[in-house]
Amino acid sequence: MSATDSPTAPPSPTPVSLAEVGQYSCGLTLVFVLASTCWVLLPYTGDLFVALVFLMAIVLAGTWWNRGPVLMMAVVSALVWNYFFIPPQFTLHIDKPQDMVMFSLFFVVALSMGHLITRLRAREAALAQHHQEREHLLELKHRAELLAESERLHRTLLDSVAHELKTPIAIIRTALDGLGQGNPYAREIETANRRLQRIVESFLEMTRVESEALEPQPDWCEIGDVLHAATKPIQEELAAHPLLITGTTDLPLLRLDSRLLAQVLGNLLHNATRYAPAGTNIEIAASLAGSTLELRVRDHGPGLPLGAEDQLFEKFYRAPDSPAGGTGLGLAIARGLMRAMKGDIEAHTHPTGGAEFVLHLPVKTRSAA
Amino acid sequence: MTALIIDDEIQIRRLLRMALESKGYTVRDAENGQMGLQEAVFLKPDVILLDLGLPDMDGVDVLKRLREWSSVPVLILSVRDQESVKLAAFDAGADDYVSKPFSTAELLARLSAIQRRQGTHDAANLKLGPLVLDPVHHEASLSGHALKLTPTEYALLAQLVRHAGKIVTLKQLLRAVWGPQAEEQSQYLRVYANHLRKKLEGSTLEIKNEPGIGYRLEET
Repeated sequence: MSATDSPTAPPSPTPVSLAEVGQYSCGLTLVFVLASTCWVLLPYTGDLFVALVFLMAIVLAGTWWNRGPVLMMAVVSALVWNYFFIPPQFTLHIDKPQDMVMFSLFFVVALSMGHLITRLRAREAALAQHHQEREHLLELKHRAELLAESERLHRTLLDSVAHELKTPIAIIRTALDGLGQGNPYAREIETANRRLQRIVESFLEMTRVESEALEPQPDWCEIGDVLHAATKPIQEELAAHPLLITGTTDLPLLRLDSRLLAQVLGNLLHNATRYAPAGTNIEIAASLAGSTLELRVRDHGPGLPLGAEDQLFEKFYRAPDSPAGGTGLGLAIARGLMRAMKGDIEAHTHPTGGAEFVLHLPVKTRSAA
Repeated sequence: MTALIIDDEIQIRRLLRMALESKGYTVRDAENGQMGLQEAVFLKPDVILLDLGLPDMDGVDVLKRLREWSSVPVLILSVRDQESVKLAAFDAGADDYVSKPFSTAELLARLSAIQRRQGTHDAANLKLGPLVLDPVHHEASLSGHALKLTPTEYALLAQLVRHAGKIVTLKQLLRAVWGPQAEEQSQYLRVYANHLRKKLEGSTLEIKNEPGIGYRLEET
């Protein structure tokens, strides 16, 4: 032993658990108990009976115990049988050749039975575990399938509802287009229909945002295209509000969901047209800080009610003095969409008047040059 | 000119019939995909208006079957929320779309745009407003002045001109200009579309982006 020997105990080649030690001792005891019993019965049964008793014990032990103890039992019972029962008794020597053959056979049979039984047991246990794992996986798969099916039904239902709500609105619009411009009543219907369309679309979008089934589909796009898509549906409303756009020309290609961002911007711009007096500007400033896109939408209206900067984004929130006809969902949808895109939105009153909304969105960039 | 309307809503069919007839079209209509296809075979219309939300067949399937034997211009009528279905429709060969509720004026404009043939192909020049493309020499000129274009820019512009007024999907553009293996590389497309936009600045031509779908070259 050198001075540099490690202080830890040397590892045993095969770890033997406490249960197994118990099995070893039980096995040993069992062999001797059986041997004693057979010794008493020897005049009536003969020495061959002993061998069969031992074999039975080994088989039974094999159905419960590990391989080691069972094989030990096989070896010990063979030796005990030899020493105590096979003539000449009290020696390991065997006189008659046929006894020698019997002894060898016993040895072989005992060992193989012990081995086979324990192997069978191990195989059964493995199968049972495999079965259990399979059941578990099937259950998980089943649950996942149910979830997917429920989501699919949800989406189908939403599409159906959308179709059912939008079709009459589309019919009214086409019919009004056919009536032409001359009719003043038609003009009122047209305005109301457009309002109805906005409300329906808001409710549908809010449902989609809340169902969390919204999956942004980012793609490379120009911020100019996003702004164009945002302003196109509200051209009429924007007619009274000149748009001042800054910062968009220097931006590279951005990877984001342009449809969702356009919707957010559209909602903000639409709000601005309703709260800000006609003729006032609406300013949009775009900038890139690292990999975060920042968009600021500012109007020159009355600004935000004091203290309501966060409450603003709750569903159905209407400012105390807001004009009739809004749903109270525009900002809730905007926030839902921003968060679905892993961004966020906040609002405050600008120091020099009007409301300012700030959007932050993580984006990948790519030079557009 | 004959038009075929395939839509399951009777009111839409009636209203569109009135609108189209007032513009001089002869109109037939069908209320489902199966009947729509049959009408298309017998009527051989000049243009088809196809609703995607049909009761018996997927609108996209109707289009696929139609495209097996006909290149008739098809205008899709869709409820806006089906973005992925719209894209599938374009990949299946739709020429343009309007979302319900649509403006009748816009529908009629798109309808005539998709019926416009690009005059003569191949050898002769491609013309669109102030733009003239020479396919033989791969040269372009805008209002008489030569337009400096790289080969890729020319290829892209040619595709857009060939389908002027109609939407060309991202996939179609990528495949035509960069080859089939580039179908997922939309960033190249964005960059080059940007270049072309700058070069067309100030003219009456505009490259419009249809979010998630593709591009459209329009005369304003």
